[in-house]
Amino acid sequence: MKQRIIEIMKDVLEEQNIDINSTQDSLENWNSLRHLNLVSELEDEFDIELEPDEIAEMKSVQKIVDIIKQKNN
Amino acid sequence: MRYFIFRNQTIEPLFGEDGIGYSGYDDISVIPDTTERYIWFYQVPFNINSQQLAEEISTYIDKLTLVLSHIENKELWILSLVNLFPIQLAGNDTQINETVTLFNTEALKLTKTNKNLRFIDFSSFTSQYTSQELINWKFYFISQMQLSTKLTKDFKLWFMRKEAEIAGKRKKCLILDLDNTLWGGILGEDGIAGIQIGGDYPGKAFYYWQLALLELQKNGVILAVCSKNNENDVLEAWEKNPFMVLKKEHFSAWRINWQDKATNIQELAKELNIGLDSMVFVDDNPTERALIKEMLPMVCVPDFPLRPYELMNFFSQLVNDYFRIYTITDEDRQKTEQYKANAKRTAERSKFIDMESYIKSLNINIIITPANSFNVSRIAQMTQKTNQFNLTTIRLTEQEINQQLADGWKIYCISVSDKFGDNGITGAIFITPSNHIENLLLSCRILGKGIEEAFVQYILNYLHREGIKQITAEYRPSPKNSQTADFYERLGFNLSEESINNKLYNKTLEQEVSIKNYYNIKMNN
Repeated sequence: MKQRIIEIMKDVLEEQNIDINSTQDSLENWNSLRHLNLVSELEDEFDIELEPDEIAEMKSVQKIVDIIKQKNN
Repeated sequence: MRYFIFRNQTIEPLFGEDGIGYSGYDDISVIPDTTERYIWFYQVPFNINSQQLAEEISTYIDKLTLVLSHIENKELWILSLVNLFPIQLAGNDTQINETVTLFNTEALKLTKTNKNLRFIDFSSFTSQYTSQELINWKFYFISQMQLSTKLTKDFKLWFMRKEAEIAGKRKKCLILDLDNTLWGGILGEDGIAGIQIGGDYPGKAFYYWQLALLELQKNGVILAVCSKNNENDVLEAWEKNPFMVLKKEHFSAWRINWQDKATNIQELAKELNIGLDSMVFVDDNPTERALIKEMLPMVCVPDFPLRPYELMNFFSQLVNDYFRIYTITDEDRQKTEQYKANAKRTAERSKFIDMESYIKSLNINIIITPANSFNVSRIAQMTQKTNQFNLTTIRLTEQEINQQLADGWKIYCISVSDKFGDNGITGAIFITPSNHIENLLLSCRILGKGIEEAFVQYILNYLHREGIKQITAEYRPSPKNSQTADFYERLGFNLSEESINNKLYNKTLEQEVSIKNYYNIKMNN
């Protein structure tokens, strides 16, 4: 799942070098607008509904993985 | 830049960032001239008070006209207004729909006198979805983006098709069939006097249709005929039928014979020396249309209406789809000049004569409040979220801000409202006890109306009154904040040090600097 998330992020953010340690501040293209597209893609891919406070917390790849893992349980 | 988009909502996910510039929200004070074309994409904002909302919508056409008078001959594409929030408290409350329709009608009218304008019917996109699909309230509250992010891909596709349509729209030649296309009935059977043209319906419908086509011909569209008939019968009908509007002299070429129409059209293309891809073929017979679509796919073949009374709608569709003229000729230029004069007059009559009076008309209220227990969490949140207008991008938690306050920092936040509503707390400034501006940030929602300068200037004046004579400041570049790189320069700060990592400034506060009186600024102490 982690790999799938990173792939989606590469695609949506149009960034090549994304790994588990990437954060919103370290990726130039990861702005608030692409963040919305990212949320929307992740929701579709994992068939989940992300809540606004979770969306606000998703500021690093690790955090996104954690949140989606939790959702899927 | 490919497009510069005037907008009043978040739409960046729809158009992306590559080569696209965006106005501030409902801001027309900045009109860059480095763009190839402009787009006007306003949407009906959400406001439960329909009186207020109607008033707001009614200002859009004035703003559009003002923009138009500033953009010279460049193209401006106007997307029609659509109300995505169909909340109607009373069944007879049609006010919003009326103002929306009025805007669209007025905008469409402008395209008639301005060849550089193009009207795109946004409802051709939205009508494919239910209002539940169109609006995702979760994203709306997070981002102010009306159109659901789930529809982003669909929107991009739709818009690309529109772009292609506009680009490929300039056709040169209209090839017409005769029987049951230019007139009712069949010439070979009904005779010159028997075909339906002029007089009562359906002849009247064909008469109007021919008048409309004649206008097209006068505007430079080449008319040609491709018909299965005896050429002599047709020549005689053109000459002798008194109601016939389109006659021999209006057609640049014709093929009236019993040969198949694909061959005829190819010959016409050769004779007129134009490409098949700049031809449109109109024929009432679906078999003929299917043949041309199959044999000559470069030729455009629109469906022909089944009933003659639909011909006028068909004509306006033809014009809209194929014969809108965009090339600017001398004559067009003259029209544009005329229009410009008109636009200026309209602007003078309307509420705003220039940008300043436009900003004035907004009744901008700025309230500055020192950080306190009610707003500190919002201030912390802004330091976390704000990227573009954030001078040093220092992220702070609520605890850290409380500590700074305890250490004697001056921290203020700004709330902005205008006649259309209250944006809440949308910015903050952090000043250390040694009078150094450690950070300044503002939400992009309120940028573009000079608020950022007014805010900082007001703070500087305030510090001056408090007896502070020297102030320093810093800018740290981030991947996202380049638009603020020379913000302190614009406010008259002196650059004292510059490196890859930052720029340091100082400024002597000698006297208070007056701030434009159309910002109503108050400080809550």
